[in-house]
Amino acid sequence: MNETIAKEHLSEEQIDQDLLKNVNWGGKFKLWMGFLTVSLIICLYYYYQQLQNGLGVTGLHDYVSWGIYISNFVFFVATSLIGMLVSSVLGMMKVDWVRPVSRIAELVAVAFAMVAGLIIITDMGRPDRLLNVFIHGRVQSPIVWDIAVVVTYVAISALLLYIPMLPDIALCRDKLNNVPKWQQKMYQRLSLGWNNTAKQFRLMNRYTRMLLILIIPIALSIHTVTSWLFAMTLRSGWDSPIFGPYFVSGAFVAGCAAVIIAMYFFRSNYKLKDYITSDHFDRMGKLLVLVALVYVYFNINEIIVPGYKANTADAKHVHEMLYGHDSVMFWLVQLGGLVIPFLLILFRPMRKPLPLTIIAVIILAGAWFKRVLIVVPTQLAPYYPIQNVPEAWSGYSPTTPEIAITIASFILVLMIITVLAKLFPVVPIWEVKEEMNHNNNK
Amino acid sequence: MKNNKRYKLIILFCLCFLAVANVNAQSDWQVPAKDNENLSPFLFDDDMILEGRVAYENSCTSCHGTPGQDDFTPMSPPPGDPAAEQFQAQSDGSLFYKIKMGRASMPKFEDAFADDELWNIVAYIRSFNENYKQQLPNMEGVEIPVYAMKLSFDQNVDKLVVKVLAEELPQAEVSVSAYVMGTFGKHLLGKAQTNELGIAYVDVDPALPGDAEGKVNVLVKATKEFARAKVQQDLAIAMPTEIHSAIEGRHIWSTDRMAPIWLKITFFVSVFGVWFALLFIVFGLRNIKRAREES
Ligand code: HEC
Repeated sequence: MNETIAKEHLSEEQIDQDLLKNVNWGGKFKLWMGFLTVSLIICLYYYYQQLQNGLGVTGLHDYVSWGIYISNFVFFVATSLIGMLVSSVLGMMKVDWVRPVSRIAELVAVAFAMVAGLIIITDMGRPDRLLNVFIHGRVQSPIVWDIAVVVTYVAISALLLYIPMLPDIALCRDKLNNVPKWQQKMYQRLSLGWNNTAKQFRLMNRYTRMLLILIIPIALSIHTVTSWLFAMTLRSGWDSPIFGPYFVSGAFVAGCAAVIIAMYFFRSNYKLKDYITSDHFDRMGKLLVLVALVYVYFNINEIIVPGYKANTADAKHVHEMLYGHDSVMFWLVQLGGLVIPFLLILFRPMRKPLPLTIIAVIILAGAWFKRVLIVVPTQLAPYYPIQNVPEAWSGYSPTTPEIAITIASFILVLMIITVLAKLFPVVPIWEVKEEMNHNNNK
Repeated sequence: MKNNKRYKLIILFCLCFLAVANVNAQSDWQVPAKDNENLSPFLFDDDMILEGRVAYENSCTSCHGTPGQDDFTPMSPPPGDPAAEQFQAQSDGSLFYKIKMGRASMPKFEDAFADDELWNIVAYIRSFNENYKQQLPNMEGVEIPVYAMKLSFDQNVDKLVVKVLAEELPQAEVSVSAYVMGTFGKHLLGKAQTNELGIAYVDVDPALPGDAEGKVNVLVKATKEFARAKVQQDLAIAMPTEIHSAIEGRHIWSTDRMAPIWLKITFFVSVFGVWFALLFIVFGLRNIKRAREES
């Protein structure tokens, strides 16, 4: 028994009350949503510009045709992978302490995966031709695999969020009498007539287990295939056989950081200190150390193997990173965004909620720029020299519309998480109760 | 101290000498009057210019640089830029003579190029001069034979056989050059002189790839003094080669319809398999609803 889930002092009513408290449309929520909406509209204005004038409004050009849109896409897919790690891998290994935070991980996964698909569309000059990808796509193309696997992952994550939530939806249906009519109706429909029968639990557990197993290969594929978008080409810096595991391990780092930030936010805003304890942060911090260590290991491989060679294009790419054109960003990202934070969280005090959250924010920012470093410099070093083209094409810097549209993707994620976290309890109530009863009976 | 001064003096003297020698050398390249008036028997057309350019880029750029760019190698005497006045002010015959005979560090190209090839280079040099008007020789009284050529292939010794005739009579000592026409220009197969039977033999590499029947398009030129002739014809002298389209067959890189079977199966089985499982779960949700009614 561990202290994370030791809630003997709480009654069931108390738990219901605590955890259902956040399901309301308070003033704070309206203010926050209002702010997000206004920001989104401003950003959408830039997307309108891009629709009208084409990708010319971005900093993309013939050489760098994948800029921060695609780096951002990679980042989003990466972050969404955490749902699989927390709810599936740890869940099936019966690591009990993750149960209260598994829904938060799933929320993060669903939101980031959904928006990742949209980001791809923003990178298209003619989104009206999107259907052509499905009509004329070649099965041989990693892009087609990517679409298939992203769509599938969104579906599985959504189901994995929904099905284990059935008892809680039923609870909302029964307990929340002062919410708007449409909301009551929604709970009514979504709860599928749940009334806690043993058979219902059995079915729910069976389907959940199926999903937990399914999601492992799908989640691994989603990010492996994303890495193949790069690794299947013959370009220096991308042409690497370890790109799949390299991406997956990096994904867990970004995802862990995102979940820690979300945990902190919910814990302080929804007053969930009894449910998301500092022990949870401590353990998430340790998990982060583990995944960061794996990621550091892959980073070393990615750098030293091509970098050791004298004069290959890949070596040049690595040298450009280590002490060339991209070195400032590279060292900021590697040391500031990965190694130093990782060393810091080795110390217990740094795994307390606030310091850990601050470190997580830095890691997440580093993870974002890391994707830019993976995507952009390779395209600026083609095998044929860049010549007889406008001066600006030998570099890349994102324009205001590009940045605004990228910010819009983050706003969308926040909106999705915010709304879902207002409709449903963010900590699985029935699981907390079950855990408590289980402990009490021991 | 004193020594040093003398040393400097010697250097100065040497430099002066070099400069004077230099000027001397430059002004001094006398071309015999007859050679100076020599004219090209061929009209400088685009074909000649192009061939001259290839020869120039292979044999002259290293010292004379790219014409018009003044990027010749600094030497003494300086080679000069062929597009410049120094070259263009001279007669065709003078350029021809100087390239052919050479002097000091300007190599002698007599053995490297046949006369018509030297004229190609002159044509190329002239192409940088907008005001140039070619002067053609007075051909009155000069009988220029009209060559006909017969091409065949001797399989036993892998040789292209070129027979040069003028009015049915075999022509000896005619320079023959044979080329294979490729997509990006012609490739030299070989050069030879006709014997007293009017026949020249050019070696053919038996591994040369041809079309499905072993045919390649061959261009043969024959020149002697003012006479010039060209034939171009398909000959089965090369190795029969079957050319495959790069996207023929089932490959990763072919069209969607020709995707490898293993890939199609893997992709569709995985995608449909997973979605089948998902639909199974979604439809299974009805069982949860039914489970309530039972209780
Ligand atoms: C090794 C260097 C070198 C190469 C190769 C070379 N040249 Fe020269 N060329 C010179 C030098 C040096 C001179 C000046 C010689 C002199 O004035 O004594 C010169 C002079 C000439 C001149 C006479 C210029 C004048 O001012 O009268 C012509 C014409 C010429 N070169 C043509 C060519 C052509 C055509 C080729 C290639 C087929 C060629 N050269 C290759 C070094 C070279």
